[in-house]
Amino acid sequence: MFSNHCRCINCITPPHLLKKLLENPDGRIRDAALRTLLTTAHLRGERSVRGLLASAALVSSHGRRTISDCANTRSLPSATIRRTEDGPASTDDSVNRAFVGLGLTREFYREILDRDSLDGNGMRLNGYVHYHTGYNNAFWDGSSMVFGDGDGMLFTDFTKSLDVIAHELTHGVTEFTARLEYLNQSGALNESMSDVFGSLVKQWAGKQTADQADWLIGAEVFTPGIGADALRSMKEPGKAYNNDILGRDPQPDHMNKYMNMTDDNGGVHINSGIPNKAFYLTSVGIGGYAWEAPGHIWYEALLASNLTTNFQEFADTTYLKAGQMYGSQSAEQQAVLSAWKEVGIRISGARTLAGTAARVRRPMADISNGRDEDQADVARRVEQLTGQLATLSKQVASLRSKPH
Amino acid sequence: MKVILAQHGGQAAGINLNRPPKVIESAALDEPKAAELKGLVAAATSAPSSAASSGKARDEMSYTITIQDQARETVLSQSDTSMSDDFAKLLAWLQRYSGK
Repeated sequence: MFSNHCRCINCITPPHLLKKLLENPDGRIRDAALRTLLTTAHLRGERSVRGLLASAALVSSHGRRTISDCANTRSLPSATIRRTEDGPASTDDSVNRAFVGLGLTREFYREILDRDSLDGNGMRLNGYVHYHTGYNNAFWDGSSMVFGDGDGMLFTDFTKSLDVIAHELTHGVTEFTARLEYLNQSGALNESMSDVFGSLVKQWAGKQTADQADWLIGAEVFTPGIGADALRSMKEPGKAYNNDILGRDPQPDHMNKYMNMTDDNGGVHINSGIPNKAFYLTSVGIGGYAWEAPGHIWYEALLASNLTTNFQEFADTTYLKAGQMYGSQSAEQQAVLSAWKEVGIRISGARTLAGTAARVRRPMADISNGRDEDQADVARRVEQLTGQLATLSKQVASLRSKPH
Repeated sequence: MKVILAQHGGQAAGINLNRPPKVIESAALDEPKAAELKGLVAAATSAPSSAASSGKARDEMSYTITIQDQARETVLSQSDTSMSDDFAKLLAWLQRYSGK
């Protein structure tokens, strides 16, 4: 980039790379990128340069944490700060749990997904504990996280659940990326994203493999007397609880049980069971740590999604991203395909290839040596043959172009 | 007067879905409690609408309070991040005396 010998236009560092370098933790690299911007003659004065310089002037807060106490009121503005990023631990366990949970979530996003806090630019993390009296919930208010203490009968303090903490903060990530509308399928995806990364933060903190993880959301928030596993189960949607007090977990685990409803914004906390299970199946299908390949595939798919992305579109995107990141027909992509199929969603691209294969006259048994194959195998062979045909065509064209 | 409280959404949305609304009949209350409820309902129904929600809250809970008084029915619906003080007071009272 800084070579004195290269003068061709192709050596100019593209703006997106310079912007990335402006955010580098190494000050020498940031300075060099800034000098490059200022001395590159054809960029000087352009709006893009001014924008990049403005970015350079912003100092990331790197997700600095502040935890405040609502003193059992519903008022956040009147809450008292109890712990700051560099301050001492509090005598209040709820404050300390919230502080630690926010920190672990922040570290997960930074180390695993290279994301600087929720907005990617070091957004400060604010948590509010002891919200209201006997409040059986935790929520993201659009900029901060709010925790209730629970009523002591059904629920206990919501700061006790790391996956709930990470779930709420991930709503912030979603809002700064895909902005999935909080309604119907896009809303259920929004909820699922939070469950996925909520669970991943917990797994990462505990260094658990996909097989070792419990895949439960909010297992710690019930009081001991309540016979419930958790708020939700990603492994077995619909089986997190079933008793006289709570009723039966209504989450579906397959599209044929999808619930069309008006309550809960069209069932965003209910139908999230379907994509949740798809992620669980992908994770155990690939094996190892779920925050690695599965987590990265899902994250990239989130970045590629938008306000109205529905289940089918998201599934197709995960399949596409798996192929881009790990190779077409890789084990990772096959796991994604299989997972979505098992919850009743067939990947659009794979279905097309399988349909093409069905129209091939030559019996597939001749190619497969008599082995039974499913449609995914057939699709793979068609793609291989197509690639071979393309190569042969190029070779023929090359031969024809040579002089006799 | 009959007051019906339904709770929606939140982390425990699935559980809230299973639970029937809470119903309080003022006729079944002692006089002081009945008067208290009447005052809270009057304040909540005459209060100006709460500030509009930003639409960015996630996992907040929302509450529907239906007041049936003789032939008239009034429905109030607010959420954690867009709740007026008077609605909050009525909600807290209903949660305390209806067993949540």
